[in-house]
Amino acid sequence: MATAAQRRIKSVSYAKYGYIFVAPFFIVYFIFMLWPLIETFMLAFHGNGNTPKLDEAGTSINCFVGLDNFKTILFGGTDFKSMGIHERFVRCMGNTVIIWGGNFIPQIALSLLLAVWFTDMRVKMPGKGFFKVVMYMPNIITAASVAGLFLSLISNSPYSVANNLLDKLEVSAPGFYNFIEGITPDAMVKDGDFFFSSDKWASRVIIMFIQVWMWFGNTMIMLMSGIMSINGSLFEAAEIDGANSRQTFWRITLPLLKSIMVYTLLTSMIGGFQMFDIPYMYRTGSTLNQYTETAAVFIYDMFHANFASPSYGYSASASVILFVITSILGAMVFYVQRDKHAIEIKKKRKQAMKEAKKKAAQGGGLGL
Amino acid sequence: MNKLKKTLALVATLAIASTAFVACDDDKDTSTGNSTTNSTSDSKADSTADSKGEEGNGTKFTDDGEKLSVLCWTDNDVKFMIQHFEETNSEYKGKVEYVNVGSEGAEAREKYATYFQGDQDADLFVLEADWILDYINNDDYTAPMSDLGFEASDFDGCYEYTVAVATNDNGVLKGASWQSTPGGYVYRYDLAEKLLGVKTNAEMQAKMKDWDTVLATAKELKDASEGKTALYDSLGGIWQVYSYNRSSAWADKDDNLVIDDYCKTYADIAKTMWDEGYVSTVDQWGDGWLNQAADESVLGYTFCTWCLGAGGQLESAAGGVTREEGKDDVINNPDLYNKFDIIAGPSGYAWGGSWLALSPKCDNGTLAKAFVEHFTINEETMESYALFKGEFVNNPTVMEKVGKNEKSNNPMLRTNPWSILFEAAGNIDMTGKITAFDSQIKKAFNDSVTNYLKGVEGYTSYDNMINEFKKAAAQIEGLNVQ
Repeated sequence: MATAAQRRIKSVSYAKYGYIFVAPFFIVYFIFMLWPLIETFMLAFHGNGNTPKLDEAGTSINCFVGLDNFKTILFGGTDFKSMGIHERFVRCMGNTVIIWGGNFIPQIALSLLLAVWFTDMRVKMPGKGFFKVVMYMPNIITAASVAGLFLSLISNSPYSVANNLLDKLEVSAPGFYNFIEGITPDAMVKDGDFFFSSDKWASRVIIMFIQVWMWFGNTMIMLMSGIMSINGSLFEAAEIDGANSRQTFWRITLPLLKSIMVYTLLTSMIGGFQMFDIPYMYRTGSTLNQYTETAAVFIYDMFHANFASPSYGYSASASVILFVITSILGAMVFYVQRDKHAIEIKKKRKQAMKEAKKKAAQGGGLGL
Repeated sequence: MNKLKKTLALVATLAIASTAFVACDDDKDTSTGNSTTNSTSDSKADSTADSKGEEGNGTKFTDDGEKLSVLCWTDNDVKFMIQHFEETNSEYKGKVEYVNVGSEGAEAREKYATYFQGDQDADLFVLEADWILDYINNDDYTAPMSDLGFEASDFDGCYEYTVAVATNDNGVLKGASWQSTPGGYVYRYDLAEKLLGVKTNAEMQAKMKDWDTVLATAKELKDASEGKTALYDSLGGIWQVYSYNRSSAWADKDDNLVIDDYCKTYADIAKTMWDEGYVSTVDQWGDGWLNQAADESVLGYTFCTWCLGAGGQLESAAGGVTREEGKDDVINNPDLYNKFDIIAGPSGYAWGGSWLALSPKCDNGTLAKAFVEHFTINEETMESYALFKGEFVNNPTVMEKVGKNEKSNNPMLRTNPWSILFEAAGNIDMTGKITAFDSQIKKAFNDSVTNYLKGVEGYTSYDNMINEFKKAAAQIEGLNVQ
């Protein structure tokens, strides 16, 4: 027989404490995450600038302009302003894709190789822990420091390490300059100094390299966890059956790593489309380098260039376009790598059920 | 027990939730404190300001503020000004406060607007030539100088252009400058003697009297140094001289962008200098910019008045000085330190320039008036400040005197810079040449020309470059581009 106190305790609902404890997160989330997100979508359909003159013309930030921003960004127009915005956006998207691609492919290859080596029982590598830490290290340095570091290592400046080195090399290898001058416009090589941070490909490749260097450790750790979650008996069985390392990699590791690889691809793609810090900071002088300007730089510069009357509309529309592109690509990745076998089975089961129902209906004679 | 649990849970929740909002109101205490003083000062202002205005300090403001706040983005000027002001007027000791707003002019331009929307104290603030029009045409941010009891004739002693620039579209004077900022060409005279054979400052000026002569001299220098030494320190330096010498404004009365022969002349001369190696490819303000005189890769710099003082750009170019409190200053490179000289160069120009503007929120009328007067009207204190800081103050009569005073000699320069720049300052004429779009147009044009020189895609010819420039300029709000 329960006492009165016991009965009361039973009726106390502890759930509300749970709600109270999670409330701060939701409050902060709604104010600082969800609302800005909704606001971005709303701004995308509003105009640009906030002067009284623009209010009158109906194109200011306070006016609803429908799809005008998207039209300008995606298709341009006949006036200099729309032409400028459209061309710049297209150029920035191109740069983003090129720089992301050029960083993702080498990065995943390198990370995979290292992950396999680090997890393979047969590879006896001393100091594994040390290497793992060292390789992860670049990821914890702030992007600003990394950009500063690389600017002093390799940039336009005659005082950068690379240009100093070239100065020294000129004595022993006079042909080297002719070689780089042959592949770049003359203007990119001045008095023996190579314009690493403004040359089209040099600057892009350097940024790709920085991205690979910063992120391969992170990817490696992720792939390693994927490999380690594969049942070890599979590797043992393969070994007993006489499979060599290559066969084990292609037949066991890679297929079972697919889901982690897809995850890496997706996160890298989302991150790649938002790439901002290194491309923005790795430049000399105040002029943005048009070969390394990414979509995120476009979004930032669009509203930041004229602070007094910012172009939020264009920035927001560009963000929405990026969001749509990322969503489509994400969906495509999932579609391409879906489990075809499982879908086939599901389909067959459905069909079988349908037929069984039909049969039952005919045989039972109970069709209503 | 249950109550205790509930209370604990509530307290914990509130604690977590409140931390999330800390960032939003970090100086709540000070702001409420200020707002109360403001509201009281407002009511007081109504009752006392008028009587004060007639017999007191002559300003429309009260004297309720604890300190006079002067807002600026660089320590280099305002700190010296406050020091000099307080030393001269002992009764105001500790009454003036420097408030840092940003680290560069462009940043301050952005931050002032946010700052003024808050409740913080603001009495005087500093504006820069490139964007002064944004502020003086906005009555929410600036009050007329007449509110301090000044009349237009009080500023008759100043350089005329400084008054013209600070007068807004309605003809109201909204700022007063304590400086004029003419510039010249600062070069290493030992190097010039070795490579060009010039012995005196007059001979050097003759070699750089106009742009054609400059090109010839640059070639001579290149040949003599076997391509090692360039005449100019950076493209930005040449641009500074050139951008100032544009005969018309960048935009006409109807806000249409004006592209004329001037743009072509500049692009051509810049291209010649760049391609021939007459100008260094190092970025102005960039890494290594000020090392170039030391390693003889350039002969000289385009420097203006505010580059020449202690801690300025010239000092860095001359190897720098190590200053430690309690110890004597140490000149890092004595062989280089005093090897510089100054000439006017191919054409006079001014670079930047700053104005003191008055916030409508001012609550230290008397002090603000005294401060402005000290640096822009009173010839005696201005002369003393010119010698104290090494500043080119905004008064030709004073500067003529200062130029002849040996105390104003610069230890790094062979010739007294003020005597050279005095003439250039007299020629400065900015009337009708300043538009609200200037800083943005100039940046767009300079960026385009830089890309043109570097041969960036889309900028391969002059016409393409102008086309790209138009696209960039069209982004500037309110500016029409045809």
